[in-house]
Amino acid sequence: MKAELREALANYLTAIGDDELILAHRDSEWAGHAPILEEDIGFANLALDELGHASIWYRLAAELLDEDPDRHPDALVFTRPASEFRNVQMVELPNGDWAFSMLRQYLFDASEQVRLSALAASKHPELAQAAVKIRTEELYHIRHTSAWVRRLGLGTQQSNRKMQTALDLLYPRALQLFTEETGEAELASAGLVPRPDRLLASWASQVSEELIASELRLPDGNLSTPAGRNAHTSHLEPLVAELQQVARLEAEIAW
Amino acid sequence: MKDTQWPIYQVFHQEQPDRPHTNAGAVHAPDAELALQNARDVFVRRPDCVSLWVVPADQIFSLTAEEIERAGLPPTPAGNGDSQRYLVFLKRTQAGSHEHVGAVSASSGPAALGEAVRSFGTEEALVWWVVPEGLVERTDAAEVGSLFGPAKDKPYRDQAFYHTTTLMRQIRGRPRQET
Repeated sequence: MKAELREALANYLTAIGDDELILAHRDSEWAGHAPILEEDIGFANLALDELGHASIWYRLAAELLDEDPDRHPDALVFTRPASEFRNVQMVELPNGDWAFSMLRQYLFDASEQVRLSALAASKHPELAQAAVKIRTEELYHIRHTSAWVRRLGLGTQQSNRKMQTALDLLYPRALQLFTEETGEAELASAGLVPRPDRLLASWASQVSEELIASELRLPDGNLSTPAGRNAHTSHLEPLVAELQQVARLEAEIAW
Repeated sequence: MKDTQWPIYQVFHQEQPDRPHTNAGAVHAPDAELALQNARDVFVRRPDCVSLWVVPADQIFSLTAEEIERAGLPPTPAGNGDSQRYLVFLKRTQAGSHEHVGAVSASSGPAALGEAVRSFGTEEALVWWVVPEGLVERTDAAEVGSLFGPAKDKPYRDQAFYHTTTLMRQIRGRPRQET
């Protein structure tokens, strides 16, 4: 693989790893606070899975950059300034209510499903293998979150209203998952990653079917073009500060 | 006070294809589908599992060895009602869990308990459970990979594995490095 492609692919993997990491962090904030004990455990399991996926993507990025695959992920997570994270804004927003957090997780899981199915055919064999492995776990995620989306959407007037409010806020932001980043067109031409517009099309048709069946309205009209992945809300910086707080106490201690 | 919690489902898990389904505990859930999901999340994140069943706890008919001793077996009914299949579970020891042993056909829950004791009479048991087979929600064999596969090769680590408390004490005991 050419050097430019290696670097672009490492950036791509770091970006989707950042999505997983930041979402895992937000999800983990529900631990001890979810509506019932069983779901507290279930949602924490989802958070742990996403954290595990982040680690897989970061290791792959490290190998492409000839970095140490054990140390590079830690460096990315614990020493990088917030401004260098490449996650989408959707995952850094505060948790809000249960409807918001569950719908965010669902919209993200659906995007992972279409992305992983395409990445399973990547011409970078290690990436294809990782995608196949993660996809198995994501099958359970989508089962879990879509079951909740249906019940909250079809539940009571109150639960439907909360879901609709969350959807109006989240849907336009979810489109950011499919923006084309620098170097991504070249990666797609080389068969290393899928084209984002194709992913968007299959994601949109999958989620709209589920959301309409849950009696939720998709935002109408033309949605504005989403920002690129280097644009963040004011919520990311405090999140990263908290995430790195302990690591910054002692830079080189062995945990 | 009104109980605002969701209904309880008893959970049975099967560790290997040739082993019986065994009671793992109970979960709260609003319906059977979510009960299966909760059962998966609460009981089979780590151990081997190839199949899960959940049944509404209030649909389980139960009989203890003490009750049989005191009042005898429920009488066999005249046999005019429509019969259905009931799954039979036995608890054999105080420390043990209910284990699936088979099924009987009967026209009611109490009649099924009597049938169960007569059919599996050679088994020493402390508690008998029967539940209408139609009320058992099961995992689909096609889903086994995604439900139970991912957790298999993940190590379980106790909190103590990470020495976090010790390290934090060390750090706190040292003067802060100002940058």
